[in-house]
Amino acid sequence: MTTVAAPVTMATIATRVRDRAVASPDLIALREKDLGIWQQVSWQGYWDTAELVGHGLLALGIEPGDRVAIHSENRREWLYTDVGTVAVRAATVGLYPTNPVAEVGHLLRHSGAKVLIAEDQEQVDKAVAVDDLPDLTHIVYVEPRGIRNRYDDPRLLAWPDFLALGEKHRQAHPQAVTQRMDESRADDVVTLIYTSGTTGPPKGVMLTAANVDFAIQELIERGGFTAPPPSPRDSVLSYLPLCHVAERIFSGWFGAGAGVCVHFAESIETVATNLHEVQPTVLFGVPRIWEKIAAGVQIRVESADPVKRAIGGFWLRRADWIGDVLAANGGRHTAASRAVYAVGWLFCYRALKDRLGLRKVRYAASGAAPIAPEVLRFFMGLGLPMHEVYGMTENTAVATANRPGRVKVGTVGEPHDGVEVRIDESTGEILTRHPGTFAGYWHDPDATAGVIEPDGWLHTGDVGEWVDGTHLRITDRMKDIIITAGGKNVAPSEIENALKASPYIKEALVVGDRRRFLAALIGIEPDTVGHWAQLHRLPYSTYGDLSAKPEVIALVQTVVDEVNVRFATVEQVRSFRLLPKLLDHEDGELTATQKLKRSAVTNSFADLVESMYAGDAR
Amino acid sequence: MTARTGRPLLYLSYGQDMALLNTSAKRGWTLVLAIGAVALPFLLTDDLLVVLATACVASIGAIGLNIVTGYGGQVSLGHAFFLGIGAYTAAAISGDPDSTRLIGFGITSVPIWLLGAGLVAGLAGLIVSPLAARLRGLYLAVVTLGLVFIGEHIFKHWKHLTGGVGVGRPAAVPELFGIQFAVDGEVFTKAQKLYLLMLVLLVIFGVLARNLVRSRVGRALAAVRDRDLAAEVIGVDVTRYKLIAFAVSSFYAGVAGALLYVMIGFVEPGSFNLALSVQYIAMILIGGVATISGSVLGALFITLLPRVTRELPAVLPFISSSSGSGGITVFQVETILYGLLIIGFLIFEPRGLFGIWNRLRTYWKSWPFSH
Repeated sequence: MTTVAAPVTMATIATRVRDRAVASPDLIALREKDLGIWQQVSWQGYWDTAELVGHGLLALGIEPGDRVAIHSENRREWLYTDVGTVAVRAATVGLYPTNPVAEVGHLLRHSGAKVLIAEDQEQVDKAVAVDDLPDLTHIVYVEPRGIRNRYDDPRLLAWPDFLALGEKHRQAHPQAVTQRMDESRADDVVTLIYTSGTTGPPKGVMLTAANVDFAIQELIERGGFTAPPPSPRDSVLSYLPLCHVAERIFSGWFGAGAGVCVHFAESIETVATNLHEVQPTVLFGVPRIWEKIAAGVQIRVESADPVKRAIGGFWLRRADWIGDVLAANGGRHTAASRAVYAVGWLFCYRALKDRLGLRKVRYAASGAAPIAPEVLRFFMGLGLPMHEVYGMTENTAVATANRPGRVKVGTVGEPHDGVEVRIDESTGEILTRHPGTFAGYWHDPDATAGVIEPDGWLHTGDVGEWVDGTHLRITDRMKDIIITAGGKNVAPSEIENALKASPYIKEALVVGDRRRFLAALIGIEPDTVGHWAQLHRLPYSTYGDLSAKPEVIALVQTVVDEVNVRFATVEQVRSFRLLPKLLDHEDGELTATQKLKRSAVTNSFADLVESMYAGDAR
Repeated sequence: MTARTGRPLLYLSYGQDMALLNTSAKRGWTLVLAIGAVALPFLLTDDLLVVLATACVASIGAIGLNIVTGYGGQVSLGHAFFLGIGAYTAAAISGDPDSTRLIGFGITSVPIWLLGAGLVAGLAGLIVSPLAARLRGLYLAVVTLGLVFIGEHIFKHWKHLTGGVGVGRPAAVPELFGIQFAVDGEVFTKAQKLYLLMLVLLVIFGVLARNLVRSRVGRALAAVRDRDLAAEVIGVDVTRYKLIAFAVSSFYAGVAGALLYVMIGFVEPGSFNLALSVQYIAMILIGGVATISGSVLGALFITLLPRVTRELPAVLPFISSSSGSGGITVFQVETILYGLLIIGFLIFEPRGLFGIWNRLRTYWKSWPFSH
């Protein structure tokens, strides 16, 4: 590691929450909707419960360096547990709520978690179904429904009982948690973040207290993303899985580091409603979310009554133009675009943004996967300060970001201050070096040695290039680069994202490695294509049936043709097949973060791939 | 809990969720409306103010009918009967105690005869409500129709109370804190004072009704309306709530009846007939079933309609202003218009004027989408 271990007492998220509880006890830290009402938790209440969780963990025998797993949707208990765990110098391991039993088993076994905080019966069932977990001594369940008085697993413990245990421990040893916090050191592993693993099983990224501290200082306190830096006046909606580093930053660390008020969405299905209610000021989304919102706007304007369709359509076209102007000016308005926007704001954009819950957003970001520039421009045109950012779990998500006012669409922005980024001359791979570089993969020194150079440089596995010497453009994942039979290097993600920018396309997978031409497996977006089919009086039953309709294939063909025009001949998709089913995490086709597992998909649809190259000798 | 988040939909408490004026836009427009309503007496002529005052009173009556028919789903044609009871109770309480011809107690304070009229009418409603508890739909309508005829008979023949057909008796005397409302004062005219009094009373009774229908009682009534069996299954005491609906509705009718004749100063026993009941049904159908603001809109509409038709002869020569001169009279036009409006609203806008307003509001609220 490049960091010099601080002597003692490291600033962690626990000390930060505690300091906020002292400095501004009554400010609101968390809000969660319960029976229709947003229940509020002050910083005082946040720290009080988190400390109680810390005592509870001590009572359960958690020692420094132990792991505490959390298997839950985003909710207050997630953050209480995270902060409480860090306070007692243990490491938090987040499990995706969608993880199937086999993966839960692997993660619990591999991490060696001693205590599991499980949200409800569903998650408890998954853990109980796994046999061989020698390290797991306690399973704390948050929602008692269906569990209490029905399960007799001796490891089970209800959340209130767990807190009562903590209360008892606090009375017996009032200083125990504080003492642990004072002992915390820079190289304490505070969290294991399992990377989604588009190849092979997930690997546990060890982030230390120093890593997290660097990320908080760099991204939040020094305003690495937002300008001005976030403050208690900001609010965020927590809706992406907290086990992912991006959401951990935007809801966990934005809260602890800057006092931002965190609102928990009820579920991923209610995000649209919750956004409308909460109207956050800072919003992070993965490309899939932004694509879905953009497609929703287009479909809903098209299906509005004639007057609204005419007016809405008119202003959406103006927004395209405004977006182009903004993109050309680094995100800054020209006098003309500002004037057009002001009129459009009155007629359309204000109401539209309010409906989408984006009206108060002062900083919007997309990351975690590549996004099509059209989608970014669409939101910029609506007046949303949109920024693409780049980082990965292994560097605590600190690498580059488009800074407000210096946006270059199509790039992932400039390196943060104090962050070294270079591109390997021979391979084109992006390397980063800074104090946020992770401590290694959990129990996997070989893999660690494979990505961290002895001199501290981290291999990101992404291929990129510099644009104008300041901004970084990512070409693709290194291992995804396709080399056609003609010897041309093609970056599939660019083509895929251009395809996915269409509201009708949900998934796209370009294949063609060692083949004569490129072909694509395409998954249609059921909502929008279903709506389109309705408009065209096209009856259908299932997703598979809809995908097989010649009219739908023709529709996708027009999208493919439009995209092909923008690419060189070798990069054009000559053939495609529609996927007969929605890709799913459970079937191993998507990762927990809904990223496509290329090899899994090409394997399960090998016959479709072959049919595209039928009659085409290799 | 009153922290301002600047986000009207971020409900931090049930109180905020249930608040009548939950957005700043609503607060602002209500203020504008209130200022406008209070400023009217200084802008309009007295004869128009009298019509508006009548409209305010009719609104209270319409709200009453809407509680039992709109919210409770119990069709009542007997509203005229309860209006009559209210009118005569108030007239009797405030009547001249020295008169040998008519009953009178000489208490002219508004709150006393107003409450008296409401309570007596409410009691009458309570007495007939067991009928409602056992009947539904058309049968209930016919039974309440019977009430109107019984009432008409009593009012015509109890001369000691009503003065008898063609004679009538003076209406209730409005007096509050020593102010006589029914005579011209030094600062305000009679019409101005009456208008303001009726406006205040409408606001009071309107808010009371709104609170009633958005609370437990209102929800229970709606459940009974939508399906009484289902309501009973989910634990709503159907009989009890039908009783409450009738009692409250009759109370409102009594209050409206007591005030209705104050403007003219005279009550005629023949006026409490089926036509009056139908007029109130027209108000809630045109205004909007099961809405308080709709009741007010409907009452305004129906009360102002004669004012408008009376102007017709000047524009359309084939309409005459008095009978006997051939052609069609304004009164006939009025009746035809009632009929046409009711048919038109039932077919094209069953939710009434309020429905139109609602549709407009939704149109702008959902901008730039359709839903």
